[in-house]
Amino acid sequence: MKLLLLALLATFAFAAQSQYALGETIYKTTCISCHGIDGNSQNDMKLVVKPRILSKSILTETQAYKIIKYGAHAYGSHADIMPTFKYVYSDIQIKAVAHYVSKTFNSHRDKRVENLLKESAQLEEKDRQEMMKVGKKIFQRKCGKCHGVSGNGESDYVEQSKSNQNFIYPYNLQKILLSEKQIFLYAKFGGKFWGTAKNDMPSWKKRYNDIQLKSVAHYVATQIKKNNKQKK
Amino acid sequence: MKKIALATLLVASLFGADHVINQKGKTFIPHEVTVKVGDTLTFLNSDPFAHNTYTDDEANEFDIGMQASGTKKTVTIKAPGQFSVECAIHPNMLLEVTAK
Repeated sequence: MKLLLLALLATFAFAAQSQYALGETIYKTTCISCHGIDGNSQNDMKLVVKPRILSKSILTETQAYKIIKYGAHAYGSHADIMPTFKYVYSDIQIKAVAHYVSKTFNSHRDKRVENLLKESAQLEEKDRQEMMKVGKKIFQRKCGKCHGVSGNGESDYVEQSKSNQNFIYPYNLQKILLSEKQIFLYAKFGGKFWGTAKNDMPSWKKRYNDIQLKSVAHYVATQIKKNNKQKK
Repeated sequence: MKKIALATLLVASLFGADHVINQKGKTFIPHEVTVKVGDTLTFLNSDPFAHNTYTDDEANEFDIGMQASGTKKTVTIKAPGQFSVECAIHPNMLLEVTAK
C-alpha cells in the first residue's frame, strides 16, 4: 500500500515537473518576445500598450490559462494586443504555460491577494443592503465616464482620447474574468499596481473607502456582467 | 422671496468676479478657492486629455460634462457654503470651494 502511494506521489511530481518544463520551453520561445525573460515586459518593441508585468498580475493560474487560450479581447480588453493561442498550442501546452507563468513569476499572488483582502474593511449587514445603490451611483458617476454606463468600454472620453493622441483602452467590464473580490482590489489599487505599464486605470483608494469600492465591485460583478449574459 | 433671491443672484452675476481654475497634470490649480455668491469659476483644461468637473453639492450642483483639452467652461456660484469639486475621471483631482 505504501509503495503504491509512493509511486502515485512520484507520478504526480513527475507530471508537475514535466508540465513546468513544457511551459518554460513554450514561454521562452513565444511569450518572451513581449513579456521578457523575467515576465517584467522589458523589451525593445514599440507597442502602443505594453504587456502586463506578470509578476504583478492579479490573475489566478486558471484565469491566466483562459487569457492565453482565448486572448485578452475575449475577456474585455480593447487593446487587442494579447492574442489567442488556441490555434497555436494545444490545451495541454497552454495549461503548461499558465502553470509556468504562475509558478515562476507570480507564486506570491495568492498570499498577496489574501493579505490585501484581509486588511480591507469588512462589510456589515447594513452595508450589504446598500451595496447596489451605492455601487451604481459611483459607477455611473465615475467608472462610466471611461467604461461607459453599460460597462462596455465605450464612452465619449474614449472617443476624445483617440483625437488627442492620448489613447486609453478601458476594459469592457461586461466580459471581464475577474471575481467581485478581484474587481474590488483592482479598483482600490489601480492598474499599475496589478502590472499595467500606464496608469490609465487609476487607484480610487484616496477617493472612496473600502465599503464604497466593494459596493462598486458588487455592482459590476452582478449588474454589469449581467448585460453581457443578456446579450448572449 | 424667490424672486428677490433670483434678482440678487442676477445682479451679483453681472458684477461677480471670475476665478480661473486651471486643470493641469491631473490637478486643480489652485486647489482651494474662496468666492462670493455670483462669482464665476472658469475651468481651463491645460492637460492633453479631457476632464469632467462636477460637484454634487446640493446648492451649487453642476456637471460641466466632458471638457476637451484646451477649452474653458464657466459656472456661477449660486449659494454660500463649502463644497468639493472633483473630476469624474481622475480621482486625485480635488478643489475645495468656500462660497460666502
